[in-house]
Amino acid sequence: MNDSKNPLSPHLQIYRWHVSSLLSITHRISGVINLLALISIFSWIIILSIGESNYEIFLLIINSFFGKFILIGFTWSMCFHSLSGVRHLVWDLGYGYEIKTANISGIIVIISSLFLTIIFWLFARGLI
Amino acid sequence: MVKFSLPENSKILKGQYFKDKTGSSNLKIVHIYRWDPEKNENPREDTFEVNLDMCGNKVLDILNKIKNEIDSSLTFRKSCGHGVCGSCAMNVDGVNTLSCMKSHKDIKGDIRIFPLPHLKVVKDLVADLSMLYKQYESIEPWLKTKKSKLHENEINQSKENREKLDGLYECIMCACCSTSCPSYWWNGESYLGPAVLLQAYRWISDSRDEEKKERLKMVADKLKLYRCHTIMNCTSSCPKGLNPAKAIGSIKKMLATS
Repeated sequence: MNDSKNPLSPHLQIYRWHVSSLLSITHRISGVINLLALISIFSWIIILSIGESNYEIFLLIINSFFGKFILIGFTWSMCFHSLSGVRHLVWDLGYGYEIKTANISGIIVIISSLFLTIIFWLFARGLI
Repeated sequence: MVKFSLPENSKILKGQYFKDKTGSSNLKIVHIYRWDPEKNENPREDTFEVNLDMCGNKVLDILNKIKNEIDSSLTFRKSCGHGVCGSCAMNVDGVNTLSCMKSHKDIKGDIRIFPLPHLKVVKDLVADLSMLYKQYESIEPWLKTKKSKLHENEINQSKENREKLDGLYECIMCACCSTSCPSYWWNGESYLGPAVLLQAYRWISDSRDEEKKERLKMVADKLKLYRCHTIMNCTSSCPKGLNPAKAIGSIKKMLATS
């Protein structure tokens, strides 16, 4: 039935979110953010090679509140994507498909990604 | 191209409000998706006040009650009423399920009922599943044996081999899983979807079938199989408690190790 007169039933608008579906979309989004993070790292190297005065501006940006927010965001995104990637690898090995297990592993990924981000920044600031 | 919003002709408008006429205080508010092919209008969401004093426990009982007592034009599929036929699959309270299995007592507040997601609507809660049936046909869901061999007796199966079909043969093809899957929403024309892949795996796992290799080759297509990103909406929604995500994972693993 390809009658265009017939409406399409609602989907994303009405479907309830589960831990598993939220983590799946976050995995994708963090993948895109990681790409932006990589671009930022390359830009950093390029700016470093251009000269001191340009680098001063770069430093100003990343030391601002907004800059720090972005950097911490990048760190979290990297941590989350890697951990979530491990979760996908475990699935590929054939384990963890039960809803309960998948929910637990998902929550572990969220908590450890936040924890890793905190550890990383404490370490970077020389606090541990 | 992935389209997240609904097309203009599918936007849901506010519908009629059917007030309770029985004077009962035990009321449940039920919102139901309506679309009439005979009228040239957008779909709407009607609201019914349903008297639960004289009503069974299941969402299907509410639908029957509305059809019998409030609005006889309400259209939905149903048959067995006991979760065996798979006809009454619909989206209840944001999750696909069989309305005959879902107790309305488990739903707090109002109940919202829609047809299975991302399908062409035929009328009200009836959606068009012909594409899914075509895909089901494409995996050739029957036992295949080599023609050269003549089987004069039945093909015996050991207890262990029979057990490999547990969790697969119970599927009733209600389409709850496939229509819960965002990958199937966006790529329904090329991706087989969880219901059909679970069936594919059911035949791949059958010890009596002699075309396992060909079957694996058939589903090993980038879109047919690998559009599954383990979102797991399928397993969350299956009213029979089966695990299509695991079945798809098993096919992927079989392909990777064979």
